[in-house]
Amino acid sequence: MSVTDVGADKRIFLRKASGLIRTASGTDTFIYDLGLVSIGLGVGSMLYYGPAFYPQGNLIWGCVIAGVAMALISFGFITWSITLPRSGGIYVFGSRILPPALALTMSLVEISAWLFYCAIAAYWIVILALAPMFSALSLLTGNETFLSISQTMLEPWATFLIGAVILILSQVVLSFGMRFYLTVNKWVFILALASTILMIITLAMATREQFVTNLNALVGPSLGVPDAYNAIIASGKEKGWGEAGTDVWQTILVSNWPFLPLVGAAFSIAIGGEIKSVGKSQSVGMLGAVLCATVAWIITVYLAYKVFGFEFLGTAVYNVLSGNGGLTTPTDPAVALLTGILTQSPLITVLTSLGLALWMWMWIPGMHTFGVRAIVAWSFDRVAPAPLGKISETYHTPMVAITVTTIVNLIFMALFVFTPWFSKIVILIEAAVLAWSVVLAAGIFFPYLRPQLYEKSPIASKTVFGLPLMSVGCFLGFIAAQFYFWTLFFDPNAAGHDPTQLMIVAGVFVLGFVFYYVMKLIRRSQGIDVTLAFKEIPIE
Amino acid sequence: MFWRKKDKNADGEVKIFFASDLHGSNVCFKKFVNSAKFYGSDVLVLGGDLTGKAVIPIAEQQDGTFLAFQHGESVQLRDKSELDDFVKRQGNIGFYPTVMSEAEYQALRTDADAQSVLFKRLVLERVHEWAAFAADKLKGTDIPLVALPGNDDFHEIDEILTRAAHFDFHEMQVCEFKGGYQMLFCGGSTPTPWDTEREYSEEQYVARFAELLPQVGDMDRCIFNVHVPPLGTALDACPKLDEKLRVVYEMGLPAQIHAGCQTLIDIIKEHQPLLGLHGHIHEGRAKINIGKTICINPGSVYPEGILQGAMITLRHGQVTQANLMQG
Repeated sequence: MSVTDVGADKRIFLRKASGLIRTASGTDTFIYDLGLVSIGLGVGSMLYYGPAFYPQGNLIWGCVIAGVAMALISFGFITWSITLPRSGGIYVFGSRILPPALALTMSLVEISAWLFYCAIAAYWIVILALAPMFSALSLLTGNETFLSISQTMLEPWATFLIGAVILILSQVVLSFGMRFYLTVNKWVFILALASTILMIITLAMATREQFVTNLNALVGPSLGVPDAYNAIIASGKEKGWGEAGTDVWQTILVSNWPFLPLVGAAFSIAIGGEIKSVGKSQSVGMLGAVLCATVAWIITVYLAYKVFGFEFLGTAVYNVLSGNGGLTTPTDPAVALLTGILTQSPLITVLTSLGLALWMWMWIPGMHTFGVRAIVAWSFDRVAPAPLGKISETYHTPMVAITVTTIVNLIFMALFVFTPWFSKIVILIEAAVLAWSVVLAAGIFFPYLRPQLYEKSPIASKTVFGLPLMSVGCFLGFIAAQFYFWTLFFDPNAAGHDPTQLMIVAGVFVLGFVFYYVMKLIRRSQGIDVTLAFKEIPIE
Repeated sequence: MFWRKKDKNADGEVKIFFASDLHGSNVCFKKFVNSAKFYGSDVLVLGGDLTGKAVIPIAEQQDGTFLAFQHGESVQLRDKSELDDFVKRQGNIGFYPTVMSEAEYQALRTDADAQSVLFKRLVLERVHEWAAFAADKLKGTDIPLVALPGNDDFHEIDEILTRAAHFDFHEMQVCEFKGGYQMLFCGGSTPTPWDTEREYSEEQYVARFAELLPQVGDMDRCIFNVHVPPLGTALDACPKLDEKLRVVYEMGLPAQIHAGCQTLIDIIKEHQPLLGLHGHIHEGRAKINIGKTICINPGSVYPEGILQGAMITLRHGQVTQANLMQG
């Protein structure tokens, strides 16, 4: 046996024993979280929906508001992760303090939202990246085939098929195991980041005049107007797009769009058990991802406004989304299309469009994995059917859980494409934020209700105004999560609260409770008391 | 009760609670022993690696306070109450706290041999304490605590546990087990980056199993209690380490490798025992089938004071239930 004194200030003697590993750094955690924020997806969605729906909203301040709120939510989850440094996300946290039915329900609500995110990303890859890319290529090359491809992609059946292929590809990648997934993602991340840098450089070097000239030359003839740029703006205003300006409420509402991708910054709670110096690493990871994404978005939004113009971005999209028949670009005026028009370079168009698609792709296996891990954890706890936790002998991965979640993704995708339910199902995001609120609220009381567990936390001795640090962190996170629950609640564009939507939220919560109690009855008939899976074995 | 009472005494039924890799955690060992009553099990099976990994010297200062180390930073303990609380918490996460003078600490920190002696003394003291706790809690029951050594366990624990009441400690043996089953005991592990106490090459495992397998009467009723898991399965997936023993990360997630035993998986595939109970890889929490053999690694999160285990019911030569648990 050998003993190591790890330093005069570190009064600990270690022996050679398995498991003495130095685990993840803050940088590693940061990359993981940043990948799930998906900078490119944020750019694509906020520039698309922001100016169109919130003409008086200041998107740059919206990014700041979302960044601060997500930092507070991250702070709450960091205290949870330090106290219970285990992998599994809010299910692990909730199951230590909440009633089992509630813990399972919160987890079910959360993964429903993340699986919805998977489907949304696949959907956006088609409508915000690929279709605009082909449309731009048509404009740039004059080849009508590209336009035809773009228009075909936007047909519901084609959108569904392409999206389904993307979602099934995620299943294939995950089926081959985490190592394969990480290898794929490594290259995806590098390419996506490179494309974002390319887009930022392109925008930084371009001028409004350049864009207007190119747009008028390329789009003007098809619209039958020489000054297409101003004609689109005028058309949008005439059709009801509000005047540009500054309004605090609209700025708060537009902040929903940067907030929605920012939720990915907290996803390292899912790998909390694999992170070294969990407090420091999670802080660097989550808060670093929030800061980096927020800064990148502010720069991109600033440059996009400078080059494309706020009013143009707003009116061009508004005319599409409101279906008012107003003038707009040949296909959705997504940032990929506009960059193509700006550069008149098919190569840059393809690179920036595919980069956007790759960013969106990063969401899919990431969120998919989150759902799979939760479902496997339910199965281990006997609150879900055993096959869901079954590990494939061939691939060493939970194939059943991966397949089931893929089917759920495909159902969501079908609902987006073939029904008008997209605007209804988007409420699941709001429900996930509510689930986070519940777990963060539970964290406020955790030090008082579970003192034996909390005393093992490295932050157990840290207080703020005499209150446990975890209580303070979770309180701030709870406030921020509630802020966004209500902001989403009052924003019909990002989520909303019409009666159907509220029924969907209620339905998901009820489904969670029903699922738990049905499984409890089934297990009881098999001689198993599932509640014991959530109870702590007595010590004395 | 986790298991149906009406089945409690059913013919041929044996309920096993299995856990592994407690690594000196007092709270996890106490939970493990108490799980017999909590889950209603007939046998407790411990899959090795009972011993912990770190000594925490608590140095008494001239002003009467104590200086120690916790969670990466120095801590000052002001009085006996704080000292007792600290000692308890360190024991619960598997460390060995020991009080000494500052002068003793300063002398010890440069004397590797003295550290080794201290380490071994503290480890063996705790093993004695655990044996006494188990004897007290299981007194009056017919619930045995079956155990074998893991790769991190000093050889000196064998004698203590072999003599301990209610402990049924074996290594490199095939023994009779409740319900007319047999249990094959094979401790230690394949080589690790840490060069631990009981490591064996694949060639040595071939020889070890060659010694054990002839002792098995009926593979259909044999339980393999083998600390190392079979290679290339979900039970032995763990983080890849670099030469400095740091986890290799790819895109923020730990790269995975397999660290089990090739010989073992070959033997399981060929001989198809009833059940395989494994540990060693804390991250490898899973239940899998290798052919018709069910193999389980309950994993371990002992530093959190949470006991991970598996409840297994055997009936008429079949595994009728096998559930991963934590409590």
